[in-house]
Amino acid sequence: MSEKGQRLIWFWGKECPHCKQLRPTVEKLEAEMGIKLDHLEVWHNQENQKIMQEYGDVISDACGGELGVPAFYNERTGKAICGYKISLEKMRSWAEGK
Amino acid sequence: MAKMMWRCSVCGDIHYGNKPPEICPTCGAADAFVLTDFDEAMKIIGRRTGPLDSKEKVVASWKDFAERNGAILLTESDEEIDMLCSGVLENLRNKGFRYCPCRIPSGNQLKDQALICPCNFMKQKNWGELGECWCGLFRKKEGRS
Ligand code: SF4
Repeated sequence: MSEKGQRLIWFWGKECPHCKQLRPTVEKLEAEMGIKLDHLEVWHNQENQKIMQEYGDVISDACGGELGVPAFYNERTGKAICGYKISLEKMRSWAEGK
Repeated sequence: MAKMMWRCSVCGDIHYGNKPPEICPTCGAADAFVLTDFDEAMKIIGRRTGPLDSKEKVVASWKDFAERNGAILLTESDEEIDMLCSGVLENLRNKGFRYCPCRIPSGNQLKDQALICPCNFMKQKNWGELGECWCGLFRKKEGRS
């Protein structure tokens, strides 16, 4: 896990169909960029839910009102993206902080 | 306006809303609703309906909901229905409500009411843009806007 404040976080849910669908794109990004996102499971893990709630305002804005998964939060830029229709390009821009 | 509870003075139907229904949806009586309160209403309703706490019952309620609504379809994937239903039931056990499995309740019950499944997905951005609810449990019927 990267140091707090520097993390690229993927919030996902264990039984979430859309997270399952998006996983290959996440893995592609990790392979391409040679990085590893912090995968934080939030359907079951209360601690991870708390982390998500810390960034609640930004993430819920990106999700259209509430905290949803799959969601991505970049601690370096404070930017979030949300939903399962995220392209590899969009994910890369988010990770690179563009 | 705060919602209140209303009782049909003819058949005992209970309605919770801003104003009483003009026609009772159960017995058809006109202008029969009168103000009631929580204690009286709960005694009238009793525990007859039983809890919606099993996969069979929850999925049946989703199917029934989709069948009655001409604009929506329940996803055809049994695997997705199964996964989402497990999430909903886990929320019921841990958080007391059948909350949406793909979204995280804030802890503010009034606000989180909007996350009880099925939610108001037809009013959400995803429905307009992608034609499905946030988790993909319900989607728009072809040819409907
Ligand atoms: S988004 Fe779909 S699964 Fe989630 S609460 Fe709404 S209807 Fe249920």
